[in-house]
Amino acid sequence: MAVTFWYGCNMTRHGEVIRATLRLMQAVGITAEATGGPASCCGAPKEPDARIAGAMGARTVAQFNASGTGHVVTWCPTCHMNMQDVMAPATPTNFETLHVTELLHASRDALRPLLTRHVPARVLLHRHLGFDGRVPVNRLVADLLALVPGLELVEHELDLPGHMCSALAAVPGGLAQAQRATLAAMAESGADTLCTIFHSCHRELVGLEQGRAFRVANWVHLLAEAAGWDIADDYKAWRNAPDPRAAVGADGLASVGEAVFDRLVAPELRRPRPV
Amino acid sequence: MTLASAIRDDGARLAAACTACGACAAACPSPPFLGRPVTDPVAAATGLRATLRGEAPTAEGIAWIADCTRSGQCAAACPEALDVPYMMRLAGMRLRGALGEAPAIAGSADTGWAARVKAFGRLTMTEEEQARWL
Ligand code: SF4
Repeated sequence: MAVTFWYGCNMTRHGEVIRATLRLMQAVGITAEATGGPASCCGAPKEPDARIAGAMGARTVAQFNASGTGHVVTWCPTCHMNMQDVMAPATPTNFETLHVTELLHASRDALRPLLTRHVPARVLLHRHLGFDGRVPVNRLVADLLALVPGLELVEHELDLPGHMCSALAAVPGGLAQAQRATLAAMAESGADTLCTIFHSCHRELVGLEQGRAFRVANWVHLLAEAAGWDIADDYKAWRNAPDPRAAVGADGLASVGEAVFDRLVAPELRRPRPV
Repeated sequence: MTLASAIRDDGARLAAACTACGACAAACPSPPFLGRPVTDPVAAATGLRATLRGEAPTAEGIAWIADCTRSGQCAAACPEALDVPYMMRLAGMRLRGALGEAPAIAGSADTGWAARVKAFGRLTMTEEEQARWL
């Protein structure tokens, strides 16, 4: 089966997750070509102007139609819902849209033999309500994590509003409230690992590790660890480093450029923590 | 159909079927989670319906739409089985000025977005991956 893995735009912060997801797909016999970033955008970042957002969405659908793969596999719930709600109705598509958790969940029997390493962890799944009605990601990810030897998923009723943390970050006080609820759930459940499902949650939650005795990992990090793959979470290291510039290092600075780092990267890595 | 015409035409079509009963606003988990619950769900829903029609929304409607985090719980609450999450999304775009009208909710356009997305790509992807994936 050949698919287009449409990872979205803000996932560029987590190249290792894209890489590991492609490797998981490949391991179960799926050939995937990854695409994302501004060149294949759903238009969401430009929604305050329907003309621009609509044109971006139409261009992305045309690109996917031309690829001829038949299946577009999403990572981002915003991209997924935009495709189904506004992009595909506006521009006829010749592909089916499905979420990466649906695809990997359907192949979990093929994944199981790959996941042989013990990952001793008591894991709280960071669940949101908003996308779960469209694709039951909370159950699908829990089932995938159940394949990991040594991993225990703790029970807790944490079900946050929003489809992911970026939606809560967009309303006053939303992110701080979500993080307080998450910290309370971690304490109540006795979990030692907070597992994110989506990238925007991961981006916001990795900062909680600082000064606390738990770790934050994405579900793909945990599957990769169980497969024995070396997968470093650079974004988390940079976000929690006392000096993000030093943590990114000379090679990183050279690749991105000093001026761009100072203007676009450093402010994000140094942004205040909501709690 | 374009996104602009969806906001106008789908919005008007869905507004025509909406009774402004307020069940969606009453079921919405976001405002109570944020510590500012919807006190008048009918007024909030009336504002949603007005927005979709291109009419002036109620203050309660603006406040509720501004606090929408896309929780999706309004879908099951609607006795008319309307796609309320889609209605809220269209209304949110409209109130943020997507059709060129004066925004009633502060817009969220991220001016450095594309450059920032590419900058992080340069930090986390190899040159070959950037060429193939971006
Ligand atoms: S629940 Fe349905 S009919 Fe009632 S106000 Fe909301 S959208 Fe309209």
